Amino acid sequence: MKNNLLVPFLGILSFIFIASSCVKDTDFDQAQDIVLTPVVELNLIHFDLEAQDFYDGATMTERLTVSDTTEIKFLDGSGFQESLVRAEFLFRFKNSIPRNFNVDFQFLDSLRQPTYFTGTLVNQGSVANEVTTEFTQNVEGEDLLLLTTSDRVVVSVTIPDSGPNLEGNLKLQSKATYFFEIKEQEE
Amino acid sequence: MKYLIFIFMAFLFCSAFAQNKQVLYGLEEVPQSLLLNPGVNVPQKSHFGIPLFSQFHINAGMTGVSVFDIFGESSVDINTRIRNKIFELEASDFFSATQQLEIINFGWRARNEIYFSGGVYEELDFIVYFPKDLAVLAYEGNQDYIGVPFDLGQISTTGDLMTVFHFGANKQLSEKLTMGVRAKLYSSLFSFKSTNNEGTFITREGNEDSENVYEHTVENLDASVQTSGIASLGDTGGASQILGSAFFGGNVGVGLDVGATYKVTEKITTSASILDLGVIFHTKDVESYRASGTYTLDGIELLFPPITQGEPTFPYYEDLEDEFEREIPIDTLNSGYTQLRPVKLNASVSYTFGRRIGSSGVCDCLNMGDDVKRNQAVGLQFYGISRPKGLQMAGTFYYYRRLWDVLSAKVTYTVDPYSNDNVGLGLVADLGKLNFYIAADNLLRYGNLAKANNVSLQLGINIKIENE
Repeated sequence: MKNNLLVPFLGILSFIFIASSCVKDTDFDQAQDIVLTPVVELNLIHFDLEAQDFYDGATMTERLTVSDTTEIKFLDGSGFQESLVRAEFLFRFKNSIPRNFNVDFQFLDSLRQPTYFTGTLVNQGSVANEVTTEFTQNVEGEDLLLLTTSDRVVVSVTIPDSGPNLEGNLKLQSKATYFFEIKEQEE
Repeated sequence: MKYLIFIFMAFLFCSAFAQNKQVLYGLEEVPQSLLLNPGVNVPQKSHFGIPLFSQFHINAGMTGVSVFDIFGESSVDINTRIRNKIFELEASDFFSATQQLEIINFGWRARNEIYFSGGVYEELDFIVYFPKDLAVLAYEGNQDYIGVPFDLGQISTTGDLMTVFHFGANKQLSEKLTMGVRAKLYSSLFSFKSTNNEGTFITREGNEDSENVYEHTVENLDASVQTSGIASLGDTGGASQILGSAFFGGNVGVGLDVGATYKVTEKITTSASILDLGVIFHTKDVESYRASGTYTLDGIELLFPPITQGEPTFPYYEDLEDEFEREIPIDTLNSGYTQLRPVKLNASVSYTFGRRIGSSGVCDCLNMGDDVKRNQAVGLQFYGISRPKGLQMAGTFYYYRRLWDVLSAKVTYTVDPYSNDNVGLGLVADLGKLNFYIAADNLLRYGNLAKANNVSLQLGINIKIENE
């Protein structure tokens, strides 16, 4: 008799045991509110130009504009495009050439079409006294959309005039601060 | 994200301290206690587990954080709670999960009084430590951490899925001493391991001589991942291949369990066991990756080569990628490796009291002390398991009572890395030849599993034939 009662007793007990456990007072919809907001500091490009880079000794002619191009493939990566809310660029020039410079940054997409442009004027320095010019550029909104379709940048440095005896260096250091907001993507 | 939460919850729902079956240990009414101590006292004459139903064990746990901590209804923003938890958790915190399913289990007492037992079970075992520095880096970025090193060596994880074939022998050697051994053959379906990693990542402010604003440096990196049974999964077969390797198609290993029970006095008994003292030899389908080196990223240096219009300049970006791969090469190795199984230790001391059982109530005077059983016991148990970052331990106090001839219960109180208020309960019913058991812990959290750091459950049915 005892055995007959025990089977259902145990069965019910086990059932209660398993069924009564639950997850309470929780709200998993909050997962949609999870936002990661990392702020990433990353070096960008740098160069060190000599004054004589602006003069062609072989042909005895000025080279008033020198330019170079590099790919920056990470910019148009999907992770960047979806999550980047703001980018802040810092360009730090150290100039010991006694000339002002115009420095342009033309961003291009993969079809080499221009997307985003920025540029600045660099103050002249002297060989004895290197002058630092800092230029910051904040990019957000529509400009950011343009920027994040870019995968390369053309840097052009223009000097008003030069000659065989011009001395000094123009150095650039640069970095970008990327402000991300990473959240669940809409399906 | 939702799927991740679901999987995470599924683990938590169904399931202590991974692999610590403190409720079942020493519970001789359950034949599966032989798997926790091959030297346990075996009262029955023979047993046979109902195939696939003789033991189901699942266990998942996380130290330092519960589901409720993150997803509980609260006026505090979920992101604030996540951030606080990331900073509160340590690199020694971990998430671990173990699941076992017994396929076959049987045992019988031979004429020489040796109790032989054997069987097959499947085991899934996973642990991952919380890589705190990387979590902070991912969550916050490096802006507020210029000059602060991030430890990449905190990455530590192992995972295994295997079939275990075992056979053991148990014998009462004297009135006081029972000993047992069990040989195990492991057939690994898949295995991965990334432990003993080293290295730091640091972003420093550049100085006068620096080429750029910052120096992003990966220093003294030495990180590796060993895998077996995984590399070929993508190629062919998939599920059928995994099933194939469940039965000796994969990598094999050998192991040993040993254990003993010693009756100090009539009422005091001690026992101890060492489980899974073994190795798996990974020789087939092995793929290991190792990344090592030091590299500083300065950014892209433009050289302004004197080129005419339309001519391509240097491939700076590719050069940078190549440079990185050269300085921090990732080697792929196919050489085999030997994996130690996580060794488990159990020990206990118990004191029995209460009325005598096991006799018919009439004169028990012929029983000269070797088999006096009482209906109640209290005891202490110790459990330890070797893990990538050292031994993890747990201590249990228990109370055992035989309620009726057919029903026994054991209540446990366990202190382990997960919590210090873990109460467990096990019930064993012997209904004729049918042996039914269920054991679960963290009962104080059962009302709301979301608040539990870990939960474990074992249940099963056996056919047990008692001694005449």
